[in-house]
Amino acid sequence: MPSPVLRTLSARVRRRAVVMAAAVLTAALLAVALVATFAGGGSSGVTYLDSNDTAVLYASGHRPLAPEFSSTTLAGAPARLSSYRGQVVVLNFWGSWCPPCRAEAPALAAVARHYQPAGVSFLGVDERDSQASAEAFVRNFGVTYPSVSDPSQVIALDFSAVVPLAGTPTTLVIDPSGHIAGAVFESATYSELAAILAKVTGKGG
Amino acid sequence: MTDVRAPETDPFDAAAEPDDPSRPGPASPAGGAFGLAGWLKWAWRQLTSMRIALVLLFLLALGSVPGSMLPQQGNNPSGVQQYFVSHPALAPWLNHLGLFNVFGAPWFAAIYLLLFVSLVGCVVPRTFRLAGSARALPPRAPRHLARLPRSAEYATALPPAEAVEVAAGVLAGHGFRLRRADSAAPHPAGPDPAEAGTWVSAEKGYLREVGNLLFHLALLGVLVSVALGGLFGYKADRLLVQGTTFADTASALDEFHPGRLVTAADLGPFTITLNKFDASYIASGSQRGQPAAFDAQISYTEQPGGPVRTGHLEVNRPLSIDGAKVYLIGHGYAPRFKVTDARGQVVYDAPTPFIAGTTGNFLSEGVVKVPDARPEQLGFTGVFVPTAVDVGGTLESVFPAADNPVVSLIAYAGNLGTNDGVSQSVYQLDTSGMQRLTTSPQVLQPGQSLKLPGGQGTITFTGYVPWVSLAITHDPGQLPALICGIAALGGLLLSFMIRRRRVFVRARAGENGTTVQVGGLARTDASGGFEAEFASLAAELRAACQQGRHPQREGE
Repeated sequence: MPSPVLRTLSARVRRRAVVMAAAVLTAALLAVALVATFAGGGSSGVTYLDSNDTAVLYASGHRPLAPEFSSTTLAGAPARLSSYRGQVVVLNFWGSWCPPCRAEAPALAAVARHYQPAGVSFLGVDERDSQASAEAFVRNFGVTYPSVSDPSQVIALDFSAVVPLAGTPTTLVIDPSGHIAGAVFESATYSELAAILAKVTGKGG
Repeated sequence: MTDVRAPETDPFDAAAEPDDPSRPGPASPAGGAFGLAGWLKWAWRQLTSMRIALVLLFLLALGSVPGSMLPQQGNNPSGVQQYFVSHPALAPWLNHLGLFNVFGAPWFAAIYLLLFVSLVGCVVPRTFRLAGSARALPPRAPRHLARLPRSAEYATALPPAEAVEVAAGVLAGHGFRLRRADSAAPHPAGPDPAEAGTWVSAEKGYLREVGNLLFHLALLGVLVSVALGGLFGYKADRLLVQGTTFADTASALDEFHPGRLVTAADLGPFTITLNKFDASYIASGSQRGQPAAFDAQISYTEQPGGPVRTGHLEVNRPLSIDGAKVYLIGHGYAPRFKVTDARGQVVYDAPTPFIAGTTGNFLSEGVVKVPDARPEQLGFTGVFVPTAVDVGGTLESVFPAADNPVVSLIAYAGNLGTNDGVSQSVYQLDTSGMQRLTTSPQVLQPGQSLKLPGGQGTITFTGYVPWVSLAITHDPGQLPALICGIAALGGLLLSFMIRRRRVFVRARAGENGTTVQVGGLARTDASGGFEAEFASLAAELRAACQQGRHPQREGE
């Protein structure tokens, strides 16, 4: 038969246990939330080429399949991605309204001049743009390769399902089998693109 | 925090709830014997106290005030820009304090996280205690029932044990929970065999505790729902010009505010086309110019290549698509301009969204940037006036519908600053590297052109189309929060409307037979009525005893 003192004590111990359990539970929840907030993807098969993780290489076997699209080029010709099968393709998402796209345009044109003779194809995807502005951009920067227009960004939507395409510009390098082998998720530089192309074509830049 | 039970102390049950951890304890861990653990415990007690919870709740309300008074980045970025222009000295300070993004500011997050911890820390232990209370047996019958708020006494010929049994039967028939003298329930004094059969305690109204429990659990549910929304929900905005389509992907959204555990990959892959937007306004009377109806006719696909459906968006009538809700939150005019540069090349031909200012009647401002004009880049700042009237040399808009649309333009040539890669607002023109071409604003009607001086080119105002702004939101916590809110309200009502009341019966053998004492009290008698209930119960108990035996025991 427990004495009153013992009983009060056990009630106090029990209450303390409940308080401790609540505190521990809260701490655990906070820890989970923090981990969930700061934990990165960490998937294998991805190599970052720069310190801020914008240029990536996908190892073979980890390359996402590029979704097929068919559209019309700015010049009015039909174009589809699958017709490039068997070649390395540099696919650049751009818009004449987008300052980072304008900043990377000269570098991209230079990469195209250097790699097109080596058999690399270049294709632009013109995002949320008007025909007149896009044509003026192409004229201005001396872009020699075709661009398909994607005013409603449905091509970007399809690609965002396989790569973390978060904005314009984005440049993807597609291998001859139609898989995405590398990407620059921002304004691309000559050296980033050259590094990716050297890996994908197997030739030194 | 929220205590819906009035009397915390129970004269008959003092050991059950020695003291309330939700009550502010001693003001500080005085005495010097407290180490780190003591301080932590003290801080935890303070945090989970009702006082601190109320202070935090008040701070939360106070913190939301600037969120509703100042324009916010999330839902009104152009308003924020306007504020920066109109309050150049104050705006940067407000921005440092996060007052243009209150609901994303660290200090706001700190308040609600602390409030969350405070509520959880208060509600969880309380829930356990309520659960215990809902299962508890009534307390032992006190010795002197006549001292209770309600009491009655009657004599019976039955022996005490039988009189108590009869009373117990009646009380059980009324739905009371019983405790007899020989119940082996724990009590400081323990069961006393000598008292066996001399008393019975009865208590009713446990549903009150159930309601209380429901309220507290639902409150936790509301918190979890809000957290769900914050972790897995998102908010996005997109301006859509009539006749165009957009795909719900991060690069196509003007604003995207994902929850903590949401990425761009979680967006539903739908597309929406704005086929036609109609706005009608009241044309006469004191309400002239007020909106009468908005209707956005849209077609949409749930996924690329899927079947095309059509629908309407109206204010407060969102479209539900792929788990997200699409709201119509604004509209405006996009005047269409065609620009040719010095070489005669068409370098711009597109509708350009202008944003209505605060002056009313959709007097809208906007910017046209022509980055690929040669030899110099061209830029224009403009005002679109839907129904223009010349008032003493200045243009005013007298009606929001486009009855007499004109644009007024100022032209610039030079460097737009678009080629060095730094993103800039499409609604602002940085004229620091540009030279003004026209001294006064040039007014154009649809179809009219402005020839730029020095052969720099031509701009033509070719017409206008409406645009709408859409808010795309996904809040998985919305429905659970509603359900929990209703449950909390129901629990609160239960706990307010149902009283816990106790009836005790003691029988003593005397010289002239048995004396039965009945005592009763209601733990909370705010709504009254216990007096009448007790009187009728006492009468019934007396009648049952006088009948001799309780109906259930007649077979014996």
